[in-house]
Amino acid sequence: MTRVALVPGVPALLPAYSSLEDPVAPLRAACLDAVAWLGPAPRVIASAQGSRVAAALLDEVASEAERRAVDDVAHHPGVLVVGNGSARRTDVSPGPFDPRALPFDDALFAALGGPDPAALRSLDAALAEELWADVGCFGELADLLGGASLVGVDYDDAPYGVQYWVMRWRA
Amino acid sequence: MLKLGHRELVDGLPLVMAIVNRTPDSFYDRGATFAEDAAFARVEQVVDEGADIVDIGGVRAGYGPVVDADEEIRRVGSFVGRVRSAYPSLIISVDTWRSEVARVVCGEGADVVNDAWGGHDPRLVDVVAEHDAAIVCTHTGGLRPRTDPHRQEYDDVVGAAIAATTAYAERALAAGVAKESIVIDPAHDFGKNTFHSLEVTRRIGEMVDTGWPVLVSLSNKDFVGETLGRPAGERLLGTLAATAVCALGGALIYRVHQVRETRDVVDMTWSIAGRRPPLRAIRGLA
Repeated sequence: MTRVALVPGVPALLPAYSSLEDPVAPLRAACLDAVAWLGPAPRVIASAQGSRVAAALLDEVASEAERRAVDDVAHHPGVLVVGNGSARRTDVSPGPFDPRALPFDDALFAALGGPDPAALRSLDAALAEELWADVGCFGELADLLGGASLVGVDYDDAPYGVQYWVMRWRA
Repeated sequence: MLKLGHRELVDGLPLVMAIVNRTPDSFYDRGATFAEDAAFARVEQVVDEGADIVDIGGVRAGYGPVVDADEEIRRVGSFVGRVRSAYPSLIISVDTWRSEVARVVCGEGADVVNDAWGGHDPRLVDVVAEHDAAIVCTHTGGLRPRTDPHRQEYDDVVGAAIAATTAYAERALAAGVAKESIVIDPAHDFGKNTFHSLEVTRRIGEMVDTGWPVLVSLSNKDFVGETLGRPAGERLLGTLAATAVCALGGALIYRVHQVRETRDVVDMTWSIAGRRPPLRAIRGLA
């Protein structure tokens, strides 16, 4: 069995952008738990910026490893995928509001939760780009999720008008 | 690490010390908080505004009626105890040069003795050491307490301030005061004309480079007034400009009348200098 986790590529998760008060504390906690669940040295599927976020999370988990209880050891290296939904969901989103953003995210969430690899593969890439959604790695994610089962949705929120999910599967 | 009495400060962030005068004649507030309840209300206000330290004083710095040690103790002694009871974790400093006053206020729970007169009383460091308190070592150019400078000059005012304050710091250390409980203060306007105070401000980084934590007391002082042509009630902006320069140079403690304004200027400047993260940054990072 391979463990697969999805986290959003939020730059506020990077140490270089840390604040005195963490603006994404619940998200960070969910990401770190999911990354820890993958076990050591997972394969990362991400954009260049997403890879930096993944590396930061992996570093953080490694530095916390001693006080984290690992429930059981994965037989195969896990896979960490970085991506998220639209950044044009609301009037205060980073991108200007687009009414297509919510239905797009809803459909995407349903496909991830199924999981429904065929639906993930058939995502409208042009629409995703227009909606400022970071789904460039979801084709590879779809390939991993054939026959997989959803373990949990650890985070499903858009606190700053960008849709974030932290989700875990066994494939 | 900084240890101010009962509090250890490990984050290295700057501290705001609010002036609380139990005096009828201090230059800025002119006796507004002389009455004990008024002084206590001032403490409540500055804590609410974000002060890390209160600096309680019972004697006006400048000329005025004689205040002997007994009267100074009447003004600040039990008041320190009252503030300590109400605010167990607040850092309490007392502005005094007298060892007999320091002994009483340390017994009442004071954490810091702010000796604005540069070690005039040689026994002060012993009292501070006995109580495991902290001390602020200032430079006054050799002036006796409560005297103004007259035609005082220096070959190098910053060099003189560094030499005097670090010598005082070493004396405190030798007396048994903990190294992390010793702070130095160039003492703007004490034994200094306006040109001296401006130069000390400009070169504050040289004091910071000594390695001792630096306190600056700039608030509404005459060097600001003379520089801008402003009376005591109109010196806030000039004070804050000097505050920003000192913050960029790395001064750690700011003794002030206006807490909220100082807090913002100091925190903003430390963040610009890259020494303090923003409070909460998400714009462009979501």
